[in-house]
Amino acid sequence: MSPGLLAIFFSAPAVLIIAATILVPFGMAVFLSLHNWNLKRPGRERFIGLENYADWLTDSDFWEPLRITFTFAIGAVILILIVSLLIALLLNEKFPGRGVVRALLLVPWAIPSVVNALLWKWLLDPNYGLINALFLEFRLIETYQAWLGSMPGVMIWLTIAYSWIHIPLATLLLLSGLQTIPDDIYESAIVDGASVWQRFAFITLPLLRPMLSIVIIFEMIFALKVFDIIFVLTAGGPADATNVLGWTIYTETFRKLDFGAGSSIAMLLGAITLALAILFYVFLDRGVEQ
Amino acid sequence: MKARARLRLAVIYIGAAIVMLGTVGPFLWLVSSSFQYERQLLNIPPQWLPNPVVLDSYREIFEGAVLGEESGVPYQSRIFLRSFANSFFVAGSVAAIAVMTGAYAAYPLARLDFRGRSTLLFGILASRLIPGLSLAIPIVLVARQIGMSDKIVTLVFINLSFILPYVIWLLQSYFKSIPVELEDAGRIDGCSRLQVVHKIILPLSLPGMTSAAILAFMLSWGEFLFALLLAETPASYTSTVIVSLFATDVDVNFVSIITAGVLSVIPPICFALIFQRYIISGLLSGSLKG
Repeated sequence: MSPGLLAIFFSAPAVLIIAATILVPFGMAVFLSLHNWNLKRPGRERFIGLENYADWLTDSDFWEPLRITFTFAIGAVILILIVSLLIALLLNEKFPGRGVVRALLLVPWAIPSVVNALLWKWLLDPNYGLINALFLEFRLIETYQAWLGSMPGVMIWLTIAYSWIHIPLATLLLLSGLQTIPDDIYESAIVDGASVWQRFAFITLPLLRPMLSIVIIFEMIFALKVFDIIFVLTAGGPADATNVLGWTIYTETFRKLDFGAGSSIAMLLGAITLALAILFYVFLDRGVEQ
Repeated sequence: MKARARLRLAVIYIGAAIVMLGTVGPFLWLVSSSFQYERQLLNIPPQWLPNPVVLDSYREIFEGAVLGEESGVPYQSRIFLRSFANSFFVAGSVAAIAVMTGAYAAYPLARLDFRGRSTLLFGILASRLIPGLSLAIPIVLVARQIGMSDKIVTLVFINLSFILPYVIWLLQSYFKSIPVELEDAGRIDGCSRLQVVHKIILPLSLPGMTSAAILAFMLSWGEFLFALLLAETPASYTSTVIVSLFATDVDVNFVSIITAGVLSVIPPICFALIFQRYIISGLLSGSLKG
């Protein structure tokens, strides 16, 4: 059998599954997005070209969620990056017990996003929440707060809760990046009298840059399509303050049953994500070469 | 110098303590809360350890599952165990099928020289860039039309398509690390390609396949969006759906909600801690969660 035939034969089951559940639905989503298709008004489906897209792009119901999505995503990526870099630097030092700390990092990673949302809903509860109790204990607040009830608290806590389960993986990736930096570079820098800060700024950061860009790209892509935690923690509220694009797509499609409008805004989110991924890739990659 | 080394270690251990508190602290508080009476949870300052250890909420879940409505426990508690079994079925099937079909698809990508190889690899990876939300709409629409909605088999199928690209990527990089000479020796002894795969590649790739299976299990255990959208009756609820039903229902006892959360993270957390080496190597050589 020729290699080509063999490849088809071997990969057929996997490729068929992927095609049936990704490529075909993708094609249908494009199709739906070009139609007027509302389940509440059956029998009125018709082709309307790019009208759905035009409607979204001229509507604040698109731009406002877009702004909120980016506020959330940028905040989350920055938080994840800073915390995971700090932890990775710590774990890059040799000390007894390092393996235990690294293993425990997997605990938040293993928690499903919905359970994570439940956990934080519990921690932030206005009447029972541990965060209220701790903050009161340390005199940071005078009475219990409804953290998820107003801006900017809701956005801050949403970002923290989301980041908590995303930090471990970013840490492991950055740690693996740190471990590829040869020790002798640091040793010769010490001989030359470089301070800790100088070593970090002129050796660690530049050499870690490829891994940092991977982490930024992936975390950004994930954060832009945030949904699970919104569903449980805020349902887009209060007063649409956390109405991210993922939530708009959900309500538009599965509550208002407007599949045409829902598909087109989902396509817009997909296009934005893809464009950003490509942009980051090109931009950050070029930075590495210099 | 000795004092300096001691200072370094002290700083490291303070950092490590903060990291450990941050990674497992919130989760341990969830576990501790699940063993308390609801009224104890009101205490200020919070009661860190359950005293006495209350197992009521756990008993409710088991009684509810056995006795049904007679037990008088909330609806979500009664159907929780069923959803737990559903999650096991979905995650277990996805892991097994993904590794089986993924291994065959990965082999030609790793070893055979055929036209379109890079296109195939790129296509498989690019399929992951499409946000699940934009595929959800047509998938739900079609599933309802052909009577596949509200079935856990459908969930297996959908999870597979998101996890397969990841498994294929992981396995093909693992296969590449196996020396070609071993394979050539087998070929000289008269093995066909299929026999080479079965007798040489697969047995030598057990560690890689184990990581892939564990990651596939954990990722599909935590899947929420499709589980939510396709579920119509308790017959197809997974544990993440039940947790979200609990978390968004204000009438249910806090302790029951928390207990459901704890139970549904036990399998992934046990996996994470038992198989941490496989998981970390899988995460680092492959792609990411999401």
